Amino acid sequence: MMSFDTFVAVASGGLALGAIYALMAAGLAAVWTTLGIFNFAHGAFIALGAYIGWQIADAEAAGLGLAAGVVGAFVGLFVIGILFHLALVRPFERRPDIVTACVITTLAGAAICESAINLIWGPRSKQLGQLARGEVDLGVFRLPVSDLVLIAVVGATLGTLGWFLSRTRTGRAMRAVSQNREAAELMGLDVPRLYALAFGLSAAIAGLAGIFVGGLRFMTPTMGTDPLMKALIVVILGGIARFTSPIYAAILVGFVESFSNYYVGLYWTPAVLFAMMIVVLFLKPSGLFGHHQRTL
Amino acid sequence: MTAPLLELRGLTGGYAQTQIFQGVDLVIEHGATVGFFGPNGHGKTTLMKTISGVLEPWSGDVIFEGRRMNRAAARGSRRFRNFNYDAVTRRRMDPKDVARAGLIHVAQGNLLFPEMTVTEVLSIATLAAAGRSAPAGRTDVAALFPRLAERRHHKIRYLSGGERQMVSIAAGLLAEPKLLILDEPTLGLSPKLRLELCQSIRQIKDMGVPLIVIDQDLAFLSALIERLYLFDHGRIARVLAKDQIPGHDALMSMLFGEAIE
Repeated sequence: MMSFDTFVAVASGGLALGAIYALMAAGLAAVWTTLGIFNFAHGAFIALGAYIGWQIADAEAAGLGLAAGVVGAFVGLFVIGILFHLALVRPFERRPDIVTACVITTLAGAAICESAINLIWGPRSKQLGQLARGEVDLGVFRLPVSDLVLIAVVGATLGTLGWFLSRTRTGRAMRAVSQNREAAELMGLDVPRLYALAFGLSAAIAGLAGIFVGGLRFMTPTMGTDPLMKALIVVILGGIARFTSPIYAAILVGFVESFSNYYVGLYWTPAVLFAMMIVVLFLKPSGLFGHHQRTL
Repeated sequence: MTAPLLELRGLTGGYAQTQIFQGVDLVIEHGATVGFFGPNGHGKTTLMKTISGVLEPWSGDVIFEGRRMNRAAARGSRRFRNFNYDAVTRRRMDPKDVARAGLIHVAQGNLLFPEMTVTEVLSIATLAAAGRSAPAGRTDVAALFPRLAERRHHKIRYLSGGERQMVSIAAGLLAEPKLLILDEPTLGLSPKLRLELCQSIRQIKDMGVPLIVIDQDLAFLSALIERLYLFDHGRIARVLAKDQIPGHDALMSMLFGEAIE
């Protein structure tokens, strides 16, 4: 039986992990639902975000502080995402085999991004600073401030994204395109532009996630591979009936990962997660919170 | 002389491998209301989808208010068929441009956006009218479809077929159409709802919106329109002025060449 302090530490670690996965999965799901493709370069976007953030924030480089790094990674990845869409997805948009074509082009894009990182920043691993230091004492237990900041930032980002999708006309137009492309075209919506916007936003959110991942672990050009796999589990496990369904699944996966690291060990955790995913798929193929209809 | 509202010149089109209609010529003047009538599966809907640009025309031109909506030249020649058509050439016709020019197509059995509420759908419907001046005062859809006001916070997938059709038409009207295409608006509706919808369509005509209406109910059509196009085997078989429109049975024999006993 674990002590209460250990339980709190494991649980808060799980919540922080879940928050990062939620950020990743939301971006991944945004592209999946609108364009109908799975973006294998999402992991490379995370690495790019971490490195751009490092370039701006770290004392060895520009040294402008972590807040500037967060903004830089977000804006930089937004632009990279749009360029990525124009170059690697847009030319195949109206082909019937777009799904297969984009598996190949996004994998190629991921390889290009990782090699570019290697060329620009070199293979030596780096680390980003923590968002905040110290712990808060809540009387019964103590929590690291960085976890609280992380959860707050993720909550604010996803909240803003949700507000954008449900309250603004552009966000509503994006949801419309994801639900019925032909009807959206007949309404005069600019479908290619909305696709590019979805891709840019998804990449920007991945860049933000990269900053957090870079603060938790050492940064390498392939640092996005593991979070991408987790985000894939999250999206499949949770289903994508709504914008919020991957978020619940991400928190669940974060907790399961954290507790399974403690009880079963680091190397068995992926097996536990995949087993959970397989059981869910077996019982409810559309995912825990999923519907037949994919939508944002 | 001003250009007609809509002109089709030798329009040919269909799906990837199958040609559906061929050489359709048509002129619709400003302020006209016309109908299309013909057997199912003979290409009426495909023709409308080609006019609005959802399907690419194979050859021929779509000219709206004197402006050609498609690019010149025929569809990919044999020389280019092994290339990625989208990457090598741009698309021949963009539905966004057609809608923003004011030609609004309310598609048959439109499923719209199942997970969005009525209010949300209507709020983005005006985007097509952005940057285009159109006669104002047509957009009071709440008065036209009082039923929708009650259900404004419901998602589209919880609406009945008739209510969904009303949202479709309301969204089309909010786009300030200069020409509104209604493709089988009363398909599969209960008689009561049908009556209600036909009434609304008459009101839309009275607002001065030019219409192209496809329907299977000849009595409704002939009361509404000024000219009827009989569509058969992928071409316009006959054009009838309002007073030439015969009864249903006579029309059937006109289409199929023999009287139905």
